[in-house]
Amino acid sequence: MRAARLSAGLALALLVHLMGTRLFPSLPERLDVFLVVALLNGLEGSSLSALLYGLAAGLIQDSLGNGPIGLHGFADTVVAYGAARLAQRLVIQRAAGVGSVVAFAALVQQAILTAMAFLLLPSPSLPAPPGILVQAVAKALACGVLAMVIYAAEGRWRRLNETRRRGRMGRLRLE
Amino acid sequence: MDERRTGYLLLLVLVSQLVFVAVQGARGGGGPTYLERLGLRLVGPPARAVASAAHGVAAGRQQLRLQRGLLEENRRLREQVEALELRLLRLEDMAGEMHRLGSAVRYATPLLGQIRAVDVVYADYTSWLRTLLVYTGREPAAVNQPVLAPAGLVGRVVTVSGPYAKVQLITDRAASVGGMITRNRRQGVVRGSGQEGAALSLEYVPLSADVRLGDQVLTAGIDGVYPRGIPVGTVAAVDAGGGQMFHRIRLAPAVDLGSLDQVYLLEHAAVPQELLKPVPRSAR
Repeated sequence: MRAARLSAGLALALLVHLMGTRLFPSLPERLDVFLVVALLNGLEGSSLSALLYGLAAGLIQDSLGNGPIGLHGFADTVVAYGAARLAQRLVIQRAAGVGSVVAFAALVQQAILTAMAFLLLPSPSLPAPPGILVQAVAKALACGVLAMVIYAAEGRWRRLNETRRRGRMGRLRLE
Repeated sequence: MDERRTGYLLLLVLVSQLVFVAVQGARGGGGPTYLERLGLRLVGPPARAVASAAHGVAAGRQQLRLQRGLLEENRRLREQVEALELRLLRLEDMAGEMHRLGSAVRYATPLLGQIRAVDVVYADYTSWLRTLLVYTGREPAAVNQPVLAPAGLVGRVVTVSGPYAKVQLITDRAASVGGMITRNRRQGVVRGSGQEGAALSLEYVPLSADVRLGDQVLTAGIDGVYPRGIPVGTVAAVDAGGGQMFHRIRLAPAVDLGSLDQVYLLEHAAVPQELLKPVPRSAR
């Protein structure tokens, strides 16, 4: 059940990325849907699941881009695993908290990507330092906002589901 | 799996990815790796599905826009039809008035006859003589019968042989038509040039006449072959003609003679040929 949910999440992220890129070609520069999905999974606290999910999300993103395979795979694996380890020590319940963690993690991911590009690629095509900083902050904020929205929607859906389930149980007891 | 083993796995995954990225960086522009091909195979179908869906949506929007365009065009054409109906009413009124005036002075207007559609079976636009061969069927054509197209004058029948007739185009070098500038009723002779560029010329229009570019030229009905009022062409160039008495006027034919596949024979009572012959001196 959990594996199916995770696969569906990844497929949905892929769909959103593809459709969004078609509608707004500059979307990948502004928002990282795969990272958000990987981090939300990581925040559930299972480090192994976070590791594998981050790896899968990153590799899919690498397959879509023109860069070398493994660049996003590496960065997403690190931040998703880090998010899972953080969730094991901290209890994050509010949407704003989740948004802040995701935004910070997105900044870390950008830093890892930049560092790897400088260290491992022969001719990295990156913007100048002020531009790259602004872009990274904007992307991190967008990721944080998206994570908040998804987290809040998921919480609401869970509460609604729980209320329905309780109502059904109450009727069963009466009968 | 405990955290220690997960940590080892993480280390393994990260190191292998670092090595993989470094190897790819060192390889530069080499061919795609197995992993790249696998990734492409994985993300290719969904990307294609999204692209086709987007294409479908775009096609639907295009269809909607086209329908909106057609509605708009329909509305515009309705307005145009209304305006033209009004104009037709006015023209019918004027025609009636002219008819009444003509009757009052016993003016006999030459009747414009019926038209008959015939197929063009051969066209010769390239030789010095510019002709068409038309198939007239059981009812043969008559020599000097005017030949028309919806846009205007095409020429006249010069030879008849059974169900076939040869038509001399107005652009033929030997062709001449009595012409008239619509705006000022000034008459002249339209001649074919036999050349591709300057297809027609209007001659014998005196320098005193006001001729402008775009003036429409109709048949004048003075040559004994063509009835009055058939569009011949429009003035494409006017030259004062240095020291001469007449304008040098070039006309663009009203009909695109290069794209004729069907023409109309005009059943028109031409002036008898014996009346067109010059009167002998002895008879004067």
